[in-house]
Amino acid sequence: MFDKVIASIDKKLERFDPIWQAEHGKGGQRSRYYDKTGVAKYREWRGVKDTMVDYAAWLKNLMSMAQMVASAPVACLKGFWEYRWMGSYLGTFMFIDRLFEGYRGYELKIAHLNMHAIVRSLTKKIALVLANDRRLGGGPLTDRMVPMDEVLPPLFMTGFKDLIPIPLQTLPEFIICDVDQHIEPYYIDVAESFGLPADVCSRCAAETGVAMDDAFPIIGKAMLSTNMPCNASEATSMFQRRRIGMPDFPVTLAMIHNEPGAHPYSTQMLKDAIAFIEKEYNVKYDWNELFKYAALMNEQNTIELEKWDYMKTPYNPLVGIAETLYRLYAWASVNGQDPYFNKTDRKVIKIIRKAYEEKYEPFAGKTRHRAFLWGPSAVYYTDFPTWIQNCWGINIVLNMDSTMGHNMINTEDPEEAIKDLAIFSEKATMRHHAVGGWDNVNAVWEWAKNFNCDMVLYNDNIACKGMLGVHAVMEEQARELGFHFIFIEHDLEDCRTVSRQDMRNCVNSYMSVVLGEEPLDPTIVEFDDSAAY
Amino acid sequence: MKTVAKIGGKVALTALIAFVGTFTLYITNGENKLIYYVIRPLLNKHYDNQVRDRRIV
Repeated sequence: MFDKVIASIDKKLERFDPIWQAEHGKGGQRSRYYDKTGVAKYREWRGVKDTMVDYAAWLKNLMSMAQMVASAPVACLKGFWEYRWMGSYLGTFMFIDRLFEGYRGYELKIAHLNMHAIVRSLTKKIALVLANDRRLGGGPLTDRMVPMDEVLPPLFMTGFKDLIPIPLQTLPEFIICDVDQHIEPYYIDVAESFGLPADVCSRCAAETGVAMDDAFPIIGKAMLSTNMPCNASEATSMFQRRRIGMPDFPVTLAMIHNEPGAHPYSTQMLKDAIAFIEKEYNVKYDWNELFKYAALMNEQNTIELEKWDYMKTPYNPLVGIAETLYRLYAWASVNGQDPYFNKTDRKVIKIIRKAYEEKYEPFAGKTRHRAFLWGPSAVYYTDFPTWIQNCWGINIVLNMDSTMGHNMINTEDPEEAIKDLAIFSEKATMRHHAVGGWDNVNAVWEWAKNFNCDMVLYNDNIACKGMLGVHAVMEEQARELGFHFIFIEHDLEDCRTVSRQDMRNCVNSYMSVVLGEEPLDPTIVEFDDSAAY
Repeated sequence: MKTVAKIGGKVALTALIAFVGTFTLYITNGENKLIYYVIRPLLNKHYDNQVRDRRIV
């Protein structure tokens, strides 16, 4: 009876469903937007059940944000007043909406489970950092925080029971450029106004701009930097170090890390970093504490490996940005420190198993191509995997960021644990994919083959000097191996150089000219979203 | 019994009003329109007028 009522409402309101509109030539995903802005006239109608799932998730995220403000009201207000990047967090709801356009059924449920874990963790972290930011008056935990570089996995720091590792660049730069494409150009301009060349990686330029604009929260007594994965990253590390002016230990992990000889060096480096923190913070490292969190990370990685088995089939509802953004955040930022992510993973794997048993195909089975995404989706266009599925039926099965350190950490023997942590940390963001040696770059074909992909999307950061060198080589290999291969140009965090539409055009041209395919939704082939967050 | 029914009725009515209010805000995309057209422009005006301590070291 209940199902019949819902079916009848769905039938009556189906003309508002953008998927139905696209199928019947009466509009599509873009029809409900005001031009350029990315502001929707109304939210996506997905049928009664899925709209309720989306509404409930929206409410849950709203509650997390209310909790953030309630937990540190003065600090949050001061933060909004002080930091330009804090204003950009107001775009979070719009960001989540566009990430999951066209999602229905199991893929929608999983997407929101994953997204809520991120929102919950981030809002808590923002409140914690602002409430202890010396610039805003400081707090009781200021001296117990350890600012560290965001590309250094913080798991090894959990051995310090009373300290709180905070990836320094994550809040003011790395996460927020996903939410708002217009925030980083401001910081890039600040950096360039001091003479920084305009052709360096825009992520590094933006971080430098945040430092020069005096917009990093000031926390902790000493910091951990790292030998960043490229020359521009090294430069920004130095600029930040000079401006922040704290005692600093550069955790210089082995860059070419596939050779066994590299690991003892990285292992010693982690031991030295631990000794530095013990000295600066006057605390003692507790291996049992590390083992506790390593066990959580091991569980996450065990579940991740099981997810990969399902991803190799067409019956996997953990797809696109719901997979890639979650894994990136859960690995690089949470890194075993938050049991809520384990809880989320357990729930998600249950849904995945069920979907597989039911032979459930996401996006109503409209996927035409299975793609492996190699490269960080240009961070100002995080919903690119969503667009490419909705427009051309290309399902991003896995992103390179998801393949980071998945070795297990020993939870009994400190000597073995630190060795495992070294290997785990060597396989971190970018080291594992782009600058860890040719074998790691060239691994893309093996990954794509193992996940039964017929397509490889290679994000081409036009300011990345290292990766520009392999452009032609990758094209030749794609041809030899028989993959559909698309280079997607982007400028990482600067949407002024390569716009979202420029990125879409790389795909549009290939799909229409080379493959001669028709779009699933013609309203999103070409549109102007230049004023959108 | 009457009191329980009365309280139950009030709780149900409050829940219904809360649902109607929040669902209306949700489906009309109200909070995003407010943020995009009102709050962010005001905040940006404030950020643009800030005097910041800009330097390399």
